[in-house]
Amino acid sequence: METNIIPRKGGFNFDNYKRNLFLEQKGLTLPKVTKTGTTIVGALFKDGVVLGADTRATGGSIVQDKDIIKISYIAPNIYCCGAGTAADTLFTTALISSQLELHRLTTGRQSRFNSAETMLKQLLFRHQGHIGAALILGGYDINGPVLAHIYPHGSSEHHPYITMGSGSLAAVSVLETRWTKNLERQDAIDMVKDAVEAGIFNDLGSGSNVNLVVIEKNKTESLREYSKPTPHHPKNCDYKYKRGTTAILKESIKDLVVVTDGEAMDIS
Amino acid sequence: MNFVPTALEFDTYGQNGQNGGVPTSLYFDPYDNNGGTALGLSGEDYSIVASDTRQSSGFDIYSRCDQKATKLTENSVLALGGFRADGRSLTKRIIQRMEWYRHAHEKEMSFRAISQLLSVTLYSRRFFPYYAFSLLGGLDENGKGVVCSFDSVGSYHDEPSCVVGSGSALMQSFVDNQIAFHNQQVNNEPISLEKAIRIVKDSFDGVAERDIYTGDSLDIFIITRDGVTTEQYPLRKD
Amino acid sequence: MNFDNNNNNNNFYESVGNVTKQTTRPIVTGTSIIGFKYRDGIMIAADNLASYGSLARFKSVERIFPVGEFTCIAGSGDLSDFQYIKHLLESLMIKENYIDDGHVLTAPHIHEYLTQILYGRRSKLNPLWNSLIIGGFHDGEGYLGYADLLGTAHKSSTIATGLGTQLMHPLLRKSVEGRENEVTEEEAIEIVNDCMRVSYYRDARSLNKFQRAKITAKGFEITEPYSVDVVWHE
Repeated sequence: METNIIPRKGGFNFDNYKRNLFLEQKGLTLPKVTKTGTTIVGALFKDGVVLGADTRATGGSIVQDKDIIKISYIAPNIYCCGAGTAADTLFTTALISSQLELHRLTTGRQSRFNSAETMLKQLLFRHQGHIGAALILGGYDINGPVLAHIYPHGSSEHHPYITMGSGSLAAVSVLETRWTKNLERQDAIDMVKDAVEAGIFNDLGSGSNVNLVVIEKNKTESLREYSKPTPHHPKNCDYKYKRGTTAILKESIKDLVVVTDGEAMDIS
Repeated sequence: MNFVPTALEFDTYGQNGQNGGVPTSLYFDPYDNNGGTALGLSGEDYSIVASDTRQSSGFDIYSRCDQKATKLTENSVLALGGFRADGRSLTKRIIQRMEWYRHAHEKEMSFRAISQLLSVTLYSRRFFPYYAFSLLGGLDENGKGVVCSFDSVGSYHDEPSCVVGSGSALMQSFVDNQIAFHNQQVNNEPISLEKAIRIVKDSFDGVAERDIYTGDSLDIFIITRDGVTTEQYPLRKD
Repeated sequence: MNFDNNNNNNNFYESVGNVTKQTTRPIVTGTSIIGFKYRDGIMIAADNLASYGSLARFKSVERIFPVGEFTCIAGSGDLSDFQYIKHLLESLMIKENYIDDGHVLTAPHIHEYLTQILYGRRSKLNPLWNSLIIGGFHDGEGYLGYADLLGTAHKSSTIATGLGTQLMHPLLRKSVEGRENEVTEEEAIEIVNDCMRVSYYRDARSLNKFQRAKITAKGFEITEPYSVDVVWHE
């Protein structure tokens, strides 16, 4: 017997991906996404976690933005550094943070690091690497300080110190020589700062300033521009243009109000 | 049998034109782009050649102190962007030809002669080009400042201000406006050497902000009737 | 076995399906090397591993050799090409010695010579697949040069090749740049050890067995292979 019922496919739908591949083969060029070179770093210390990031966004060999924020809010006790496709890191973290906010409102409890990690990795796994977000997730919950990295394909791992992005090798050289168990808070901050600076100076995809977030028990401190290692030169010349610099090709003045002589107003 | 093919023999379209004439990938790419920007300005009685000292490849900085400009004579300076090995080789070749000229004619080559020599040298490698963007600054036979820019196969022209290398697209419009007074009606008094140097520094500060391949330090060569002097200026290192 | 399948007589090419490849590609390779200036001269380091793809094939290969009294060459990349370069330099030194005119080839000469050899081969599209560090002592100060398979060359106070450009160069720059005349020999050895440790941690083609060379006013000195202490965190 013939039937019109099409059995429902299980799982996630990748029809659009197939369509896009087909269109690309036919000559369609898809819009280029901003993929930023990045140095992001995270490290555990005695009783907390430090996250650090540079602030350069690149498009090809051009610096698109000199001061972007790469550490995003997930929950009051959880933050996330993002590398890879700028829009993907932005939207995945925003999506998960809003879901966690609703969950907190429902349960009245602090968000768990594991919830954030699982939600992020399941979202990324569902999309099979098409969401290009490489993340370092750091937080402090009832289990103490935790640090994990999550790859675009959805794998995650816990480590005491992590770097990602194009400057990760430069940054890891600092962490491998300086990280020890039970670092003091300030030592950890200095080490993460130096690791990000190693990326800033040695990796062309990373640059400008260092942003840090320190997460401890019941306390999260955001240190914007903790270090500005590249001072800006004052200008050597004055670039004010003289009046008349711009050519006037034509001048015409139109009277919008026509004034005509009329009778005097009656003010009696 | 020839074991070592020259560039012309090298079959980039698969063996014996097989593979439907579709270009196949070569395992070894003889070229690289090492970045860097060079700027040349010319005034009535001076000319300036400035280039940054960063040498890079991909996202790596190879050197922070690589001189891309070379003084050729008392009135000409050559700066090169693009592939550093080709630039080096080209500079060596030009210097050697200049020495032969000196021995043959007992005088230095003039600025115009050097620019013509550079052009034909570049064209001699038309089908395996020097991937080098050259900029030659100096004084002509009347002592007037001239700057010439060359493409990689020898086409050249002189302009009051020109930029070659990775930051050229960013810098060219700025110097066109500030040096050649493009789109300016009332401002066209000749720029003093001192002011020109300040504009050069600002141009590089600006490009180092936005071009990742430009930075570290700036070499400024100032060419006047009295010869060539140099100046250094620090740039961003990130 | 039929060896006549490949009807192309030019054995410079190797045919794999429809893709034309050159025979030149690195087979047995050495990983990153480093070099830097310090107070007394130049310090160079290279590990003793020769890899065959991902196989750690030979574990006691010396990748630093002297040329004359005041120059040492360290090489990464293809080891057969490196040994060929070593052979070239040995022949060159014999010729120089034979002429016996009192002229001595110093580090800048050797750097220039190697750069020209490498650039010449890249221009024939038949490169010597190496990145080299040339360390020497010349005119009362250290000389440190770099040359690679493309003929790209430069001088710098710190040099690293291969993965070392990303892993070790940041450490070198931080500890050496701006204080080349302050770094003592003890500190320089510490810097080498720190760099080679990081390389061993993160470069899968490296080995914790390496040699160090110093080139000073007194000449060169190459250490026996040695190791550093390592700690694997979690």
